[in-house]
Amino acid sequence: MTSEAILPLMVLVPLLGAGASLVVARLRTMQTAVTFTVAAGTTILSIALLLKVDADGPIRAVTSIPEAPIGVTLDLYADRFASLMLVIAMLMLLAVLLYSAGQKAAGEMSIWYQPAYLVMVAGVSAAFVTADLFNLFVAVELLLLSSYVLIMLEGNDEQIRSGTTYVVLNVLESTLLLMAVALVFAATGTLSFFALPAAIAELPSGIQTGLNLLLLAAFGLKAAIFPLFSWLPDSYPAAPGPVTAVFAGLLTKIGVYALIRTQTLLFPDTNRTLLMWIAGLTMIIGVLGAIAQSDMKRILSFHIVSQIGYMVMGLALGGVAALTATIFFVLHQIPIKTSLFLVEGIVEAETGTSRLDRVGGMARRSGPLAFMFMLSAMSLAGIPPLSGFVGKVGIVTAGLDQQEWVLVAVALLVSLFTLVSMLKIWSGLFWGDVMPVDPRKGVLRHHRRMSAAAASVVALGVGIALAAGPLYSFTERAAEDLYLPAEISEAIVGDSK
Amino acid sequence: MIALLALQGIVAMICLAPGRRSERWAIPVATFGMFIGFIWILTQASAVTSGEITTENWNWVPQLGLTLDFRLDGWALLMGLLIFGIGTLVLGYSHFYFPKRPDLGKIAGLLAAFAGAMWGLVAANGLFTLFLFWELTSVISFLLIGLEDRSSAARKAATRAFLVTGGGGIAMLAGLILLSSASGTSEISEILANPPTNGVVPAALVLVLIGAFAKSAQFPLHFWLPGAMAAPTPISAYLHSATMVKAGLVVVARFAPVFAEVPPWRFMVLTAGSISLLLGGMRALRQHDAKLILAHGTVSQLGLLMILLGVGTAGTTYAGVALLTAHALFKASLFLNIGVVDHQVGTRDIRRLRGLLRKLPVIAAATVTAGASMAAIPPTFGFVAKEKGLDALLKLDMGFAGTITVAAVVVGSAFTVAYTVRLLMGVFGNRAPGTAGHPPVNPARVKIPSWGFKFAPVLLAFLSLLFGLIAGPVGDWLGKVASSLDPASNAYHLVLWPGLNSALALSVVTWVGGSAIAWWLYRHERDADAGVGFATTLYDRSYNGLLLGARKITAVTHSGSLPVYVGVALATLIACFVAALAAGDLRDLGTTRITNSPIELGAVAVTAVLTVGILRTQRRFSAALLLGGAGYGLAIVFLSYGAPDLAFTQFLVETLVIVLYLLVLARLPEKFSRPPSWAPGVVRGLFAAAVGIGLALFAVATSAVRSDYPVGDRLTSLAEPAGGGKNVVNVILVDFRGWDTLGEIAVLAVAAVGVINLAAVARREMLRRGLFASAPANNGTRFGIRQSSVDGDVGPAPQWRSVILTTTTRGLVPVLAVTSVYLTFRGHNAPGGGFAGGLVLSIAVALRYFAEGPGSVRKLGIDPIKLMGAGLLLAAIVAGYPLATGGAPMESTIWKFTLPLIGQVKLVSSSFFDIGVYLVVVGSVVGAIRALVDTDETAGEANLADDLATDEVGTTR
Repeated sequence: MTSEAILPLMVLVPLLGAGASLVVARLRTMQTAVTFTVAAGTTILSIALLLKVDADGPIRAVTSIPEAPIGVTLDLYADRFASLMLVIAMLMLLAVLLYSAGQKAAGEMSIWYQPAYLVMVAGVSAAFVTADLFNLFVAVELLLLSSYVLIMLEGNDEQIRSGTTYVVLNVLESTLLLMAVALVFAATGTLSFFALPAAIAELPSGIQTGLNLLLLAAFGLKAAIFPLFSWLPDSYPAAPGPVTAVFAGLLTKIGVYALIRTQTLLFPDTNRTLLMWIAGLTMIIGVLGAIAQSDMKRILSFHIVSQIGYMVMGLALGGVAALTATIFFVLHQIPIKTSLFLVEGIVEAETGTSRLDRVGGMARRSGPLAFMFMLSAMSLAGIPPLSGFVGKVGIVTAGLDQQEWVLVAVALLVSLFTLVSMLKIWSGLFWGDVMPVDPRKGVLRHHRRMSAAAASVVALGVGIALAAGPLYSFTERAAEDLYLPAEISEAIVGDSK
Repeated sequence: MIALLALQGIVAMICLAPGRRSERWAIPVATFGMFIGFIWILTQASAVTSGEITTENWNWVPQLGLTLDFRLDGWALLMGLLIFGIGTLVLGYSHFYFPKRPDLGKIAGLLAAFAGAMWGLVAANGLFTLFLFWELTSVISFLLIGLEDRSSAARKAATRAFLVTGGGGIAMLAGLILLSSASGTSEISEILANPPTNGVVPAALVLVLIGAFAKSAQFPLHFWLPGAMAAPTPISAYLHSATMVKAGLVVVARFAPVFAEVPPWRFMVLTAGSISLLLGGMRALRQHDAKLILAHGTVSQLGLLMILLGVGTAGTTYAGVALLTAHALFKASLFLNIGVVDHQVGTRDIRRLRGLLRKLPVIAAATVTAGASMAAIPPTFGFVAKEKGLDALLKLDMGFAGTITVAAVVVGSAFTVAYTVRLLMGVFGNRAPGTAGHPPVNPARVKIPSWGFKFAPVLLAFLSLLFGLIAGPVGDWLGKVASSLDPASNAYHLVLWPGLNSALALSVVTWVGGSAIAWWLYRHERDADAGVGFATTLYDRSYNGLLLGARKITAVTHSGSLPVYVGVALATLIACFVAALAAGDLRDLGTTRITNSPIELGAVAVTAVLTVGILRTQRRFSAALLLGGAGYGLAIVFLSYGAPDLAFTQFLVETLVIVLYLLVLARLPEKFSRPPSWAPGVVRGLFAAAVGIGLALFAVATSAVRSDYPVGDRLTSLAEPAGGGKNVVNVILVDFRGWDTLGEIAVLAVAAVGVINLAAVARREMLRRGLFASAPANNGTRFGIRQSSVDGDVGPAPQWRSVILTTTTRGLVPVLAVTSVYLTFRGHNAPGGGFAGGLVLSIAVALRYFAEGPGSVRKLGIDPIKLMGAGLLLAAIVAGYPLATGGAPMESTIWKFTLPLIGQVKLVSSSFFDIGVYLVVVGSVVGAIRALVDTDETAGEANLADDLATDEVGTTR
């Protein structure tokens, strides 16, 4: 088996797991064993991939058919950006799995949770290892369909209602994406990341603009950028706790990943002004939404949107320095966001709600929980020496270097507003008198496993801050990698001429 | 230096570690840690003052200039001594101040962490190092102000303090980044040695000053400080008078000698400093809480220090350093004295205190001494330092601005004298005549404080006096310290008695004027509390305005209405098309061929009509049928292009989808719910038309620009040699693009899982709501599907049973089953394949259901879920097995061998992949049908329909 085999295995292993977990669906212990083995296995694979890629450069796995044009057959590819995202995503998926195993007794867990979860794992993997637009569409489908199942897993009225918003908007997104992919193929005759840059560059400008904007809208809807973000804060809070955590941490970031990929590779240096507007509005509208809420889960959901704005800002600024910071920012956001939602899940498990006016004194009840929240919240607000600070400094520095004063000012203001809403949560939920628990909802079991999972994610966030130096060098190399396929593309075009 | 940080960090962690909250040892441990810090810095003193400078650094994120740089020079030394010296005393004092609180570990740990952060701040030589510790002190201060978190006032005060200092910090961060990029380094000593003259420097300095003003409580960002007094007194003494609020001054003092000449530095510093000096003094005169008098006094004193340290001449810097030292000593002493009074008496309201002079003579003496230093009465150190300050200000050559500044300092100093007198009279004198409304305390009940408790305030007061008496040597030593800020300040000296000069004359004016004000106030003392300052009001209004504004804006940007969200998304899509069309050169639109064949044209026309019908119809059922019809139309188009596989699959899918619709629609309301009033039919029609036409135009234009020859030809020629199959569509699906197929069957499986899960949840929910009980009464039928049989009698309602259908089905189902297998296996070479085969079998199952009822589906004997799982497993294994031999995934292996009787057999590995597809399709569809049918048996009508009615989704909260 060659090292290239890791790429397909990243997808095949969780799919095998999904199949197996369906076959043994009624044997819970077996199912859980399968799921954990698979999740741990993919995590190990992703780490191996990261080490390999960082040592030897991007890896490509191609099914070669003599004389077939590029992109006809399977063409998997992972560079540093992709493998970094894979590792962090797999770690999150594993941690959340552990958390959800602790959340409910074995008998309470829906037997469909783990199969759907594994399909989502496959989708996440597939999105990162692909070098083909249609593959990417299929990957998005995988994680969307499994997310539909997960978001409505318990099927209560609230979930059905908000799940409907989620499904309708995301089906629209799929349709849009499929349309965009089809039109790209119609115009260029290829969907391969290696052949597309050159092919798109030859298109007339109107077509370029159209394809560019269509892909931007499709992935932007997934990434929840302004003005296409509304579905997110409406649907995420209703989902089961761990599901929200993993959605919050990962799914939108895959949209961002796809945005970064397509924008840097297929349409380099376009849309800058548009993206800057989007970035600023996403940040500010998102954070205002967060400030307006009075429920921890909803506040955090709006923050997902707001923080996406920073990533778009980095993308809009462009260039290696800004993209380095952006990749670092995405890297840091995934565990931070996940951990905040995991903490929220514990609060809700203990008290039955996460409304600021119904819960109080959590710091008194559980010091470690408060500490975990504080670390992640301050990181989100960009307080040094936590990871959020490094990411923000990177993006803001790039912005100041390019003299985008207004955007930088907005970014800093949003940082302050983020602090406002984090303090709102802290002073509402963690300070004050301990409030009585709703006896119908506030049931606590297996707290330890949930806390351990949340703590490990928080620790990962702190670890990112501690190792920020080497990691930043890594993301710098990853940002440089982003332009590699274009070089390969030129080589291909050169060959064929 | 880093070791000292680590020490404080470890002490903090030990104290904060969970489970040890109530330990009494936490405070002694932290005190000891502070004391070690103090001793360590003291051991460095002689080396530092003789000019030896040590630096330490640790690279954190060097790419962004984020390094931890520390540099121990005179200024850091002085601040370090104050931080750890006063820290030791305050912590020792806390041991007596705090009774058995459950959170002693938290207090001790946070104070230790704070001392570490403050030390990092003063020893920082990197811009980001500075900022890091700057923010850390804000965070810890937030937690300490909010220590009494049950009080909403404390929570508000903590939040306010954090937001103001944090907001200032963010401004400062921007300034620091600008400064570092303008000078190409983030090392403060290098920036000061070679100051940048770039155009952004003034902006950078303004931003840095905003941060410094916020932290050092300067107008207009001063208002958080009095609120911070919500913290227990030792904490206020340490953080909010002696150390943290000096952080802004630390930075200003470092930058001023180099940057003071850059406008608007001096203007900002003098304005903010003077206003703070006057405003703080005036407000201190109106407080009744002794601690608040000191707090407002701190704002005032910090204003004076801001002026002295910010002007940037050697003389003022020197005086500022001296006055800062004096201030740290006397203000800490005063706070701690008031803390003793509060602790022993139970109040610190000067309207209630009386007769304490006799009960607390030592404390009274210490308070008076420290107070004298604050009011700059000789022979205290405060007097010596302020004389130097006045002298330096008088010698400034700043014209009118200088005069104004001196006037402000004189008036402010008079206020200082006045509030000092008022404080001393209020706490230790008799009650003022106008305060009868407040019950006086009973001095007889006042307990005598222990010597340990009194030690810290007395020692600090003593030092305030002693340093004044030995002003010469102290002044010389401070000169060495100040020379690290401005080398020229080494030439200055302190003397206890400067002789009769104009500075002394001004001092006399302040004493006399201040005493007069104090006397007047004493006569006119009133019961009423001082009002809230306008800056606080402004802040509160802004904060509330932010919340309100956020709510209003969010109500607009986030309506909670699904139709709006869809509308916005579609509008975005339309904008994309418009932008593309406007970008021009969508050439060749005119030369596009309209159609290839009349069949195509007819199919498209029919489809179009059906589509319009979907939009017009009010009934769900008709919409489902029309949708199916449109799908058939599309299949005909596929057929006209010579794609039988696609057409066949499309027909099957549409058929099955209609079946599934029927199962679901049985439980939904008959008609669609009404559209929202803002989007009447016309509007929605226009929207739909714009999207459709835009897409069509763009698609035509896009296809027209293709210059490369079609991929199809090449694929066709590759199918047989590479994929081992004659049917190119199938080869693409299971081989070339098998990866995507694998993903899509997983999508199908998981979709089925979703249907099965939701159906099960709905069934459970109906059980819970007791719908089973009422079900038999609910004998309605729709579309011939009986909805409410509980047991036994399964199948369509008798009147709907068709003998013909039942009989035909019995014969047809086995035929269909065999056909489906055949289709699957021949797929590689002729139209068919696993997908089509699976659909055929599923249709057979559906047929049986319609003929014989739900029981037939349940009695199938196979578990569709296992089928689905097995199919997925098989497909994934076939896709992955070439990896084992070093091949690429999905690579086909072709086996040729001869079997007896049958002859030559060619087996392609991808056929097994197709079997996997087949199994997944059958499992998914049958699983979904079975789940819906199962629910069907127990379905009540209206309630479930309500739950599932999804057209009008209101999620606004």
